[in-house]
Amino acid sequence: MVYGYLFPVIFLVAFRVLYRSEPVPMMRHMGQLLTVTILGSTCLGMPTTMVSERERGVWRRYRLAPVAMTALISSAIGVRFFISVTAGLLQLLLAMAIGMSLPKHPLDLCVVFTFVSFAFLGLGLVLASMADNVPSVQALGQCIFLPMLIVGGVAVPLDSLPKWAQRVADFFPGRYAVESLQACFTGTGMSSSGFDFLALTLIGISGFFAGAKMFRWDAQQRFAGRGKSWLVAVVAAWGLIGILAEAGIESHKAPPQSSRAALPAAITSAHPVASGTPAPTVAVPKSIAPSGGTKPEKSRHQSTIWQDVTVDEINQNTDFGLLPSDDDVVAPIARKDVAPPPEIADQLGALKAALPEWAPGKVADPVQRVRNLLLVAAVPDVSRAEILEGYVPRIVFDQLQQDFPKEELVRLLFWVAVHPSSGDASAAGQMDQLGLENFVGNTDTLRERVSVYGLKLVGRLIGKIPVR
Amino acid sequence: MAAQVIVRDLKKRYGDVEAVRGVSFEVQEGEIFGLLGPNGAGKTTTVECLVGLRDPDDGYVGLFGIDARKQPGEVKQKIGAALQTTALQDKITPREALRVFGSFYRDKADPDQLLERFALTAKADAAYDTLSGGQKQRLALALAFVNKPKLILLDEPTAGLDPQARRDLHGEIARMKADGYTVLLTTHNVDEAQRLCDRTAIMNHGRVVACGPPRELIAQSASTTSVFLATDHPIEPEALNRLPGVEGVVSENAGCRFRAVDVTRALAELIQLLSARGIGINELHVQKATLEDVLIELTDSDRDG
Repeated sequence: MVYGYLFPVIFLVAFRVLYRSEPVPMMRHMGQLLTVTILGSTCLGMPTTMVSERERGVWRRYRLAPVAMTALISSAIGVRFFISVTAGLLQLLLAMAIGMSLPKHPLDLCVVFTFVSFAFLGLGLVLASMADNVPSVQALGQCIFLPMLIVGGVAVPLDSLPKWAQRVADFFPGRYAVESLQACFTGTGMSSSGFDFLALTLIGISGFFAGAKMFRWDAQQRFAGRGKSWLVAVVAAWGLIGILAEAGIESHKAPPQSSRAALPAAITSAHPVASGTPAPTVAVPKSIAPSGGTKPEKSRHQSTIWQDVTVDEINQNTDFGLLPSDDDVVAPIARKDVAPPPEIADQLGALKAALPEWAPGKVADPVQRVRNLLLVAAVPDVSRAEILEGYVPRIVFDQLQQDFPKEELVRLLFWVAVHPSSGDASAAGQMDQLGLENFVGNTDTLRERVSVYGLKLVGRLIGKIPVR
Repeated sequence: MAAQVIVRDLKKRYGDVEAVRGVSFEVQEGEIFGLLGPNGAGKTTTVECLVGLRDPDDGYVGLFGIDARKQPGEVKQKIGAALQTTALQDKITPREALRVFGSFYRDKADPDQLLERFALTAKADAAYDTLSGGQKQRLALALAFVNKPKLILLDEPTAGLDPQARRDLHGEIARMKADGYTVLLTTHNVDEAQRLCDRTAIMNHGRVVACGPPRELIAQSASTTSVFLATDHPIEPEALNRLPGVEGVVSENAGCRFRAVDVTRALAELIQLLSARGIGINELHVQKATLEDVLIELTDSDRDG
């Protein structure tokens, strides 16, 4: 009861509160929410029930009857699937009640939900077979659940995690669940989830196989004595999936030289991490040569020089609704009507005064100039200057609008945004002239944030994003 | 009468522990048969092998002519059992339980009749976790009858019951026999075995050490009448030992206890002895041997297995 129904509602509320300023409530997080729902029901709820019944002797009594054990187990699993489906529906309805619209691919959702349930039911069966008593099944369940939640891309979106966590997540079923489910809401549905299905199926099969082999109906048969070796099958399956994921996905991650700079591309796609699929709904051109030259994208019209960029082209290629919200941890922008707190007011004043005279902001090449100014917004964000980071972008935006006429600015911003890896980021080391901290180190993330801020300003200028 | 249950040389071990080491007995149709013995004697394991919960390591187990090791499913169709710990899911009701279990069998009894017979009609639709201990026990019994079995197996059925409940259950078991069922029960309560069972097998350390009707077992055993004597002046045990047919003299409390084959003769000699020495009797108890004495005698002597 608690694990299947109540537990996910807590997550629903949490997501809603965390991401409260998203245009469409919950839409970007249904993959995570439904994964939590299924996990709670199948890996915490079901094993607890099974082990508790085993401890009390319920299974023993049923074994006295001339009914096959497999029939009993199958019915328990079947019932649990039904419970998961109703819990998932409940979450959907609740989300829709607070304003979410219908998923993009509802029929696909049914299929994917079944696949995900299959995988986790298998895992739940393994947990039920492994634990000797209720306290240990709870502990085991949490051991699986919590890592998946935190570093496996279930509670925390995968793209907010460091690279090592993303690799770890490759080995856990959680992220394949989140990915494939989310694709039914905001992506291209089942068609892009081939690897996810493979992963989930394999994990499910290994779980059912090992779980059935290790299953005990009698509390006195301790786990230690019995066929622990079947666990190897499960571990092997997870390992195999992880290895395949590492091998396969790496070559699909774009752009090739830096996966972090894929965030702009990711913004315009449904997948938190590019997962080996061709560019979905929209694409920001991904492949950039380091020298700053450009290659036109395959399907959509791409200008070859910034001066040729048109508003139509921008609209065609960008889905502004998928940008992180201004209240997000990534690329935040403070609201207009909120005054900055006194402790940074001075710093902001100094920045505002120094910015027009800042050398990198006055270089000849307009593209580089825009880029440098956007860097001023990006640096506090990347260096997590907690309070500052929301307010600096406003100042930068004002400056940019002062320096450039609107149509030109729109083109330049878009250009910089879709070429995150080109140009020079050395201005990041000249922030001290503005009273900010210099940025040292790998500029991949920095460039990505430049793109995000660039798109955010473009959106405001062409009326796609409401100005707050 | 045909033997419904034939067990020959049953063996079962758990790791290093040999729980059952060659047990053999037969149960006749229509009788109440008891497996009596101390805890750890192997009674429960034996029953578990009979009902198909455990696979014996060796031996033959036949019920109604069916080899239980080869066709456990068939055997299960024909027997009903109530084991030591019967538990069901929290929310299932007696009516539902009887229906579900009934559905597993080819031949099923009417749930309403069973509910009535075991006084569960009032609670027929109450959740299992709201039933009292006694009601749960009755439900466990009712479940044993759900397939109109010919043989009922009960493992320690009165364990943990108060005397009244135990009395009621004994009445119920006697009624089963009257209705034509064959009952096999295990117990460590000697009284119960003596009162209820037509025949008893006494088990100890995984073996059957005696088997037969209780009164025959008593008669056959070395146990005889036991006498307790407390005198106003001490008398040395050796003097008592020299009395005819007296043996096993032990000091007990303020006196001593001994056994006598021919108690009348022994007492006659005893009185003579005491009056010759001028010793008065404070207490004198004479008690016929019980099954308990048999049990203790048999299990004592078999102490090392």
